[in-house]
Amino acid sequence: MTFDWSVVWQHRDALAAGTVTTILLTVATMAIAVPCGIVVAILRLYAWGPIAALATAYVELFRNLPLILVVYWAFYVLPIMTGLGLSPLVTGLAALALNVTAYNAETFRAGINSIRRGQLDAAMALGMSRIQALRRVVLPQALRRILPVLASTWVSLFKDTSLVSVIAVTELAYVAMQIRAQTFRVLEMLTALAAIYWLLGYPQAKLVDWMQRRFVVTE
Amino acid sequence: MNSAMAPRAKSTRPRIIRYQGVIKRYGTFQALSGVDLDVHAGEVVCLIGPSGSGKSTLLRCTNGLESIDGGSIEFEGAHLSREEHTLRAMRQRMGMVFQSFELFPHLTALENVAEGPRTVLGKSRAEAAERASAMLAKVGLADKAPNHPAALSGGQQQRVAIARALAMEPDVMLFDEPTSALDPETIGEVLNVMKALADEGMTMVVVTHEMTFARRVGDWVAVFDVGRIVEQGPPQQIFEAPTTERTRDFLSHLGWNG
Repeated sequence: MTFDWSVVWQHRDALAAGTVTTILLTVATMAIAVPCGIVVAILRLYAWGPIAALATAYVELFRNLPLILVVYWAFYVLPIMTGLGLSPLVTGLAALALNVTAYNAETFRAGINSIRRGQLDAAMALGMSRIQALRRVVLPQALRRILPVLASTWVSLFKDTSLVSVIAVTELAYVAMQIRAQTFRVLEMLTALAAIYWLLGYPQAKLVDWMQRRFVVTE
Repeated sequence: MNSAMAPRAKSTRPRIIRYQGVIKRYGTFQALSGVDLDVHAGEVVCLIGPSGSGKSTLLRCTNGLESIDGGSIEFEGAHLSREEHTLRAMRQRMGMVFQSFELFPHLTALENVAEGPRTVLGKSRAEAAERASAMLAKVGLADKAPNHPAALSGGQQQRVAIARALAMEPDVMLFDEPTSALDPETIGEVLNVMKALADEGMTMVVVTHEMTFARRVGDWVAVFDVGRIVEQGPPQQIFEAPTTERTRDFLSHLGWNG
């Protein structure tokens, strides 16, 4: 069997564009799923009963469905629900955000619960509202505490974005598979794909390690 | 009315807090079973008694961290509100110091003290920092402004916590066993700050096991047992001529010899 690695170089522009889409997809998903995760966590913890139950139902549904199923589901159901012709990118982003928001909500809930009651008491005793106490006192501490978990979610997400290739989002995996289909250079393209994911993922993991050391709070 | 509830000498100073028949339950456990107590302006009222007798519970009910199940609490002439906005306005006028300090670990000493003025009173960053510096200086910790709580001793943390409460310019300070979590060698520095506050005329309600403090600094002492005040009066009465068996028992268990 002979290898022809030049196929990777020949398609460098397409691969680069796919890589950019993958990165953007990861950043955009997290940009949605972090604030939404906080809101869902707070709804579960403090909202009026039925609203809290709804938030819980959302989390338990999306946390326990395979992501690829959610991606397909979004592809077929979202256009019917919204009446809009959504692009594959927006559909993929929605599916990823729905899934990661559910995970983040659980992470934030655990983080908020890990801050001892006395901290909330101290903030409330100063005259803060519950929202102020959460925003100024509880969340900053919770966020530092759960940073390692959020970071590993991030690294997983970076790789999981490849799942939206099934609905033809032109991210890295999809682009590589397309090239493979056109050139029949299967091993070359899979190896290149692995190399790109790893080279991008490894520094992210290291950055995460650094952030954990940097933002650690000792009591 | 029995001798335990002997009416106190009438104070001419305005009343700041009035507890009347306060009842607090946790499930079937009755933490407070009808507590009557008045706190007047400029007074230091010390709440003493065995652990679990309801002292801390009463203090936590005072600023609404716990709700009451019966009776009433008046603060500056108004009933303690259950409505959040009014309750928050009341809390701003009551500083609270906790046994476990509860400083915000992610903020420096200065930021801890500035947090109330900044977030609750809406002061500018500069104004809040200025007031925080002044309060840290007042408790003798001006040089610790940039330190995080983890870098401070227990006594220093508690003094920062006192400064944090004072930065709201409260009318009354509530102390919940402020020295119980401290190493013996740092208790003195916290008590000195509290004594200085009392000398300035701050109204204080202090839950404490420091009998010497209650005796020397207190204007009025209330002895708690199983959710009731079994005796209250000036410290001379409580420590030298207690009128109830329960007070004598409690003091003798502490090795207090008058």
